[in-house]
Amino acid sequence: MIDGCRILLLDDEPLILMDLEFAAEDRECRPLTATNVREALAHIEAQGSVSCAVLDVTLRDGETCMPVARELERREIPYILHSGDLNRQEGTLAALNARLIAKPACSSKVVDAALSLAEPAASRQAS
Amino acid sequence: MADRPEVHSQASQRDPNARPRRDMKDVGHEDRFSDTSGVLFEQAMAQTRMAVCLSDPNLPDQPIVFANRAFRRLTGYDEHEILGRNCRFLQGPKTDRAEVSRVREAIENEDVVVVELLNYRKDGTEFWNALHLGPIYDAQGKLLYFFGSQWDVSDVRAAREEERHARAMARELSHRIKNMFSVISGIVNVMGRVRGVEDTTSEINSRIHALGRAYETTLDEASVGVIDLGPAVKAILEPYAVDERVKFLGNGAQVPFSAMSLIGLVLHELAANATRYGAWAEGYDGQVSVDWQRRDGNAVLTWIETGGAPISGAPAHSGTGATIMNRMVAAARGTIEREWKPEGLHAVLTVPIEGGNT
Repeated sequence: MIDGCRILLLDDEPLILMDLEFAAEDRECRPLTATNVREALAHIEAQGSVSCAVLDVTLRDGETCMPVARELERREIPYILHSGDLNRQEGTLAALNARLIAKPACSSKVVDAALSLAEPAASRQAS
Repeated sequence: MADRPEVHSQASQRDPNARPRRDMKDVGHEDRFSDTSGVLFEQAMAQTRMAVCLSDPNLPDQPIVFANRAFRRLTGYDEHEILGRNCRFLQGPKTDRAEVSRVREAIENEDVVVVELLNYRKDGTEFWNALHLGPIYDAQGKLLYFFGSQWDVSDVRAAREEERHARAMARELSHRIKNMFSVISGIVNVMGRVRGVEDTTSEINSRIHALGRAYETTLDEASVGVIDLGPAVKAILEPYAVDERVKFLGNGAQVPFSAMSLIGLVLHELAANATRYGAWAEGYDGQVSVDWQRRDGNAVLTWIETGGAPISGAPAHSGTGATIMNRMVAAARGTIEREWKPEGLHAVLTVPIEGGNT
């Protein structure tokens, strides 16, 4: 496993998270998984070197990925949105100017889409 | 006659410069409803189903000085129980104070306001009152009355609430369905990895995803059990990322939910085939046009490829995809005709969606 590319994966559904995690490992990058905003922010703070991220929009307990997205933007870390809640989250989706992949989608395509946005150096290392 | 009781609501005239208007006549307090116009006014007020009252802002606590029959019927009070009291006697414990203060502000500013208040009848039952309130002036611009019209909108509110609830439910359901498709797909992927059959599971998953996308479009129509073909077809073909290379010709045809899974899977097989061997194959700049119609109780989907990889007749062996497609179509008592023309595949799917002749 090459440590160059760290991909933050945020999803409140463990099985989807695991699927994304496997897909990230297949691409030989290091998945950092989070099931809520707190965990995701902790990853961003702690490692300080998240290369890119896949964010589920609607999370448990009424949370959305908004705080995570804003923090990533502040640090100029690219991310994509991965959501099945297109009707209710129109506002959130519009506020975040990021690529959206509608669920259900192929996990490796989702991960590839995020990796393609990562720093060229990181993705070269990862591939 | 100076005392013609023509009264004019300022309802649509917020511009203070517009008053006093010349056509506003002075209305005397004693004989305000006494002459011809007054009789007409009284008759109209008596007959209208709109509850109407007038209150006098020049008297202490602004008492109601007129309430028509509809007002009495709506509230359950007799005239003598209404006249002389301030309108607030209709309010109760659950009346929204914020809305009441909007009314108070409007009165203070001699403004027009429309609010929905929870009010109480004489027998204590609640009703939602759409209250329209506005000032009435005389020819000199002096404030004479406040005009209030009341309409029981309890049914409207209930319907609105129900609709809101139904929409919220549909969205929650839609979210859950998509999440469930994702979870299923996750399980399949994880199993595939464990057993070392990733190729197989990724094929299974591509079909699961096509199915998921078939239901991706809005569920607002869900209660009627039909789905718009157009948005569904577009959603199914979306991940093939062929924006410029697909033409959608269909109209607003709808099909029942039950037909959607078949259509979704057939479209997936056709798209996968086009990507591998046909119009969307690498190195070619082919086009696909997709048409969908309702015809004689059938949904008819036409798929026409042009300009793709050259074909020389039907393939010798039909692949797994084609086999699945044929069996599914047969199970739905539909037909799929494929014509391998030199310029590309020409396929027509017919799915019966009406009547019991399956």
